[in-house]
Amino acid sequence: MDWFDCNCGFGVPAKPLGGVLRSAADLIGELEFCGVGEALIYHVAMEAESAQVGNRLACEETQDDPRLHPTWAVLPPQTEELGTVEEFLAGMRQHDVRALRAYPEEHRYRLDGLTFGSLLEELVPRRIPLMTGPHWQVIADLLSDFPELTLIIRNHGNWGDDRYFRPLIERYPRVHLDTSDYQQAEGVSDFVRRYGPDRLLYGSGAPTLQMGAALLSLAGADVPAEAREAIAGGNLRRLLSEVQP
Amino acid sequence: MRNDSEIAREFLAHGRSEACPVIDMHGHYGPYRGIYFPKPWADGMLETMDRCGVACIVCSSHASLVDPARGNREMAEVARAHTGRFYAYCAINPNYPHVAEEEIRRYGEDGGFVGFKFHPSGHSYPITGPNYVPALEYANEHKLLLLSHSWGESQYDRPGLFGELAPKYPDVTFLMGHAGYGEWDSALAVAREHPNVYLELTAAHRVSGIITRMVEEVGSHKVVFGTDLPWFDPLYGIGAVCFSRISDQDRHNILHSNAERMLARFREPAQDGGCHT
Repeated sequence: MDWFDCNCGFGVPAKPLGGVLRSAADLIGELEFCGVGEALIYHVAMEAESAQVGNRLACEETQDDPRLHPTWAVLPPQTEELGTVEEFLAGMRQHDVRALRAYPEEHRYRLDGLTFGSLLEELVPRRIPLMTGPHWQVIADLLSDFPELTLIIRNHGNWGDDRYFRPLIERYPRVHLDTSDYQQAEGVSDFVRRYGPDRLLYGSGAPTLQMGAALLSLAGADVPAEAREAIAGGNLRRLLSEVQP
Repeated sequence: MRNDSEIAREFLAHGRSEACPVIDMHGHYGPYRGIYFPKPWADGMLETMDRCGVACIVCSSHASLVDPARGNREMAEVARAHTGRFYAYCAINPNYPHVAEEEIRRYGEDGGFVGFKFHPSGHSYPITGPNYVPALEYANEHKLLLLSHSWGESQYDRPGLFGELAPKYPDVTFLMGHAGYGEWDSALAVAREHPNVYLELTAAHRVSGIITRMVEEVGSHKVVFGTDLPWFDPLYGIGAVCFSRISDQDRHNILHSNAERMLARFREPAQDGGCHT
């Protein structure tokens, strides 16, 4: 199986819930232990410290290993802490960053058109995925304004969120779900029977979540083999290949 | 893959393991508020269990956490209908102490019941409160299991409260549900100190590194597997066990051996031909 983890990271957190992967090398060790070939990664500092520092570390610490693909955190364009929108996009091209992450609570901003309109108007046609947590009302409002946005909802599902995300899946064709915490018994198979496999992306949630949990859940899911392979890595490869930086 | 566990490889290849069948010590039954379950009833749960190699499960129905008289009756019927696959906890709602005493008398001797289920946080009543005493005394006298919800820092069921009860009721086998989620140091200390307190993995297993810590600091003989089924996919939890840095002997202990020991006096052969331990 060609496993490509859409949601894992490394770095030193201030308050770890469980294990810690301090460096890219630590993450690689864990990926190899579990048989995962590639990963779309974040640096813990992107969320816990600052986007500026975390984005730089995500690139610096992965530049020598083609298995690790960095993401960047976004901040409101108005403060230009990450440069102008044009400079930010140029930086993404320079470092081959193909996906972004939003942390509206941690970085204290509104993830909406008022704040991010100038950036989102660039992301939509370029099909650059934006990843964010399960802030359901924020996501519903955002997609109402930007229905073609490529959105990956990460870290949802510990308390079964199907009632929140199914309406979004049905209305917005470019909404995708990370499976790292989608623990619902028969959740993946039930989803695939109704919507097909294309909207699910395998993620581990490491280092907070136990790498290998979501992996075995998908490996043994009651879905056709081709659906399993798409979720394990094919869908993420397709999304990243569609990016026009 | 560098994980050399034979158990992990078998689960990855087949989605189940003949060598390592699973016993789930923390199940529920039926639909519940706030969450969509694709398969909340017995037939669907058995489909999931068979696919994942789960030999049997010990449950309290969701109804029993709200209305114990109705819910315990429902769970008893399920256990009788699926002998050897479903076992039952008699749920105690301390907010209705007279009902609780009736439930103890009714189900204490029932073949499908293996002990009691407490949910102190859900009922906003401390596990050390007097309304739980009749069930604790009965469980101690009859050497029964007690699965109780536990959560870190909770005023109702934090790990330290189990440490207060364990020596008072030495013949009760306390299963600390969710292993005192988040208050790991205290939960592990209580399980290490008291021979009759076990760590139960539901929800806790998602946290990276915690299973390895439990094995290193307490021992795999004090850890049991659970899923909250129909909540959580058994393979998610099994995956957490399979990819923790522990031995296959530890995996056997957690996934079935410890539970086999606890359930030995209650076990009956499965009537449906399902998988066995």
